[in-house]
Amino acid sequence: MPGRLALPDEGTALQLQPARLRARHVLPAVAFLLVAATASLVTGPAGLSPFGVVEEVVSKLPLLHVHSPLGPTGSVVVWQLRMPEMVLGLLVGAVLAVSGASYQGVFLNPLADPYLLGVASGAGLGATLAIVSGGGTGSATSAVPAAAFGGAVVAVAATFALSRSRHGRSTASLILAGVAVAAFFTAVQTFLMQEHSSIELQAIYTWLLGGLSTAGWSQVLLVLPYIAASSAVLVCSRRLLDTMSVGDEEAMALGLSVRHARLVVIGAATLGTAAAVSVSGLIGFVGIIVPHAIRLLAGPSYRRLVPLSLLYGGGFLVLADVVARTALSPQEVPLGVVTAFLGAPFFLVVLRQSRKLT
Amino acid sequence: MHRTKTFRFAVAAVGIATAALAAGPLASSGATLLPAGPSPAAQARHEAPASPAGANGFPVSLPSQGGTVVVPARPDRILSLSPSATQMLYAIDAGKQVVGVDKYSTYPPDAPRTKFTGGETNAEGYLTVHPDLVLLAFPSGKVVQQLTVLHIPVLVLPPASNMAQVDQQMFELGRATGHYGRARSVAASLSAQVHRLVASAAGAGRGKTYYLELSPDYYTATSKTFVGSELSLFGMKDVADPAGRGTGYPQISAEFVLHANPYYVLLADTVCCAATPASFAHRPGFSALSAVRDHRVVGVNDSLASEWGPHTIEGFVGLVARLLRR
Repeated sequence: MPGRLALPDEGTALQLQPARLRARHVLPAVAFLLVAATASLVTGPAGLSPFGVVEEVVSKLPLLHVHSPLGPTGSVVVWQLRMPEMVLGLLVGAVLAVSGASYQGVFLNPLADPYLLGVASGAGLGATLAIVSGGGTGSATSAVPAAAFGGAVVAVAATFALSRSRHGRSTASLILAGVAVAAFFTAVQTFLMQEHSSIELQAIYTWLLGGLSTAGWSQVLLVLPYIAASSAVLVCSRRLLDTMSVGDEEAMALGLSVRHARLVVIGAATLGTAAAVSVSGLIGFVGIIVPHAIRLLAGPSYRRLVPLSLLYGGGFLVLADVVARTALSPQEVPLGVVTAFLGAPFFLVVLRQSRKLT
Repeated sequence: MHRTKTFRFAVAAVGIATAALAAGPLASSGATLLPAGPSPAAQARHEAPASPAGANGFPVSLPSQGGTVVVPARPDRILSLSPSATQMLYAIDAGKQVVGVDKYSTYPPDAPRTKFTGGETNAEGYLTVHPDLVLLAFPSGKVVQQLTVLHIPVLVLPPASNMAQVDQQMFELGRATGHYGRARSVAASLSAQVHRLVASAAGAGRGKTYYLELSPDYYTATSKTFVGSELSLFGMKDVADPAGRGTGYPQISAEFVLHANPYYVLLADTVCCAATPASFAHRPGFSALSAVRDHRVVGVNDSLASEWGPHTIEGFVGLVARLLRR
């Protein structure tokens, strides 16, 4: 079947053995997540003792009478700085990975990522507009997430509107419309950046490179509803994704309304990605690396891939953030640089693999 | 689908390139600040100025960007695209020769502001004001080559990293505009004024730590930058210095600021980002900082941390002296 990249053993896996999620898949993922979360909480330039941090966290649990050895400042560092940054990393990483996995399923393309339909360029333009129009009037920083979210939604809506042709809408025309919309939004953004001063440019670049370092609980609460809803829909759609992966005609033969299912999945993945991007900036490659690493570990079935993407995605981004904070400590490295640095070589490996598979 | 794959790969490649590009300016902005003073040859030229040619010593040749720029006659249509150079020109009485300044040159207030940013990548727009000398701090694209082809002398005056380099740039501008004598006396009185201000603090800053904020996401400046060198004059210590590997403008974190517990906090993001001592104090955990408890957090105009003209220097050094005398 020319014009389609089939995923490895998709059909056979589906027919021969129902690929259930088993404890031997979930337990290592949960362990990875816990290790990443702990590493994130115990590292930082404040020089708190790792055991002190653990005792501080445990002391807040009910029924356990543990006394925290940390002073008030240490307690603030753990609960107000490290904890929200770690939680935000979990949420953003989880939703980027699960959206990436879902996009790959919907588009039957192993190289699809959550930014495929213009989320990144739309959010980038929105953030840029907020930063440059904030100028001397203040409150620019707080307007950025809303503007980025709005820009992302507008861009994806434009992609959908433009991809409709007389013959309906194919995934190929959707992807091409996404490329065109992304190019257009990026052009406007570049033009705006050209027109503004180095201070605003630096703010824009910092946003584009992504990061969690100024995360507070307010940002966590801002995106939690979107990310939770989006993840819930995608987890519920995991069987649909398995069915769709055999191809439109076959899926329809199995009684699935492919068009509607695809819209629901794309909508949920896009909303979650837009929310993530609005608070963390553009963090690349998580949506590609994580699902593919899981395919290597647990096979291609979406029944495993979708829930495991949530766990491994969250853990991966939290670990990447630990690297970003400690590699040149106390200097911070932009998180997007770390994920791209790890992701780009991996991406090339995946590309070679997928060539062999076609 | 092969096309789509190529597309995605191209998009990914652009992503990597964007990351590299975005990392670039941060690294290179540090690099432009790091090279120490001018070469001995350049210094020698300044000690013995003025070739014995035509009226007022013109033509003069000046070092710029590793090459030589010749100003054939006393310029009277100067286009200054650097706020610091604008301040210097007016300080050395060359203001009457200025026909245009960039939109960020806010001092003096009556300078002829244009819409130029100084970051244009094409010099054609500059021709509308018919300049006979162009001053730039951050040349982009082919601007310098284009102006050279058009026989319009262009001097590049990059950010100074200490007072000696400020003097150097004022001397250069003095020679380029025919006000060398005035430039020498302005430089002398500026450094005398700075010394007076530093002395007025009576050593109160010695060993005191500070955090200088350039943006609310914890971009800061180390003592290797010009603004850092001004604070070093008072003997103050920059908490961000351990982060200054490869750049004078590193990004640190809230946690590091809390840990370092600086004695003074200077917010140079009051204009860009509306930071105030009150909003700073409200960040998570920051009420515990001694600078917050004892009211040693001050907001300053962003430009004080990014410009190196005489007006900015007097303003900033004066502000720090007052802060220390409090």
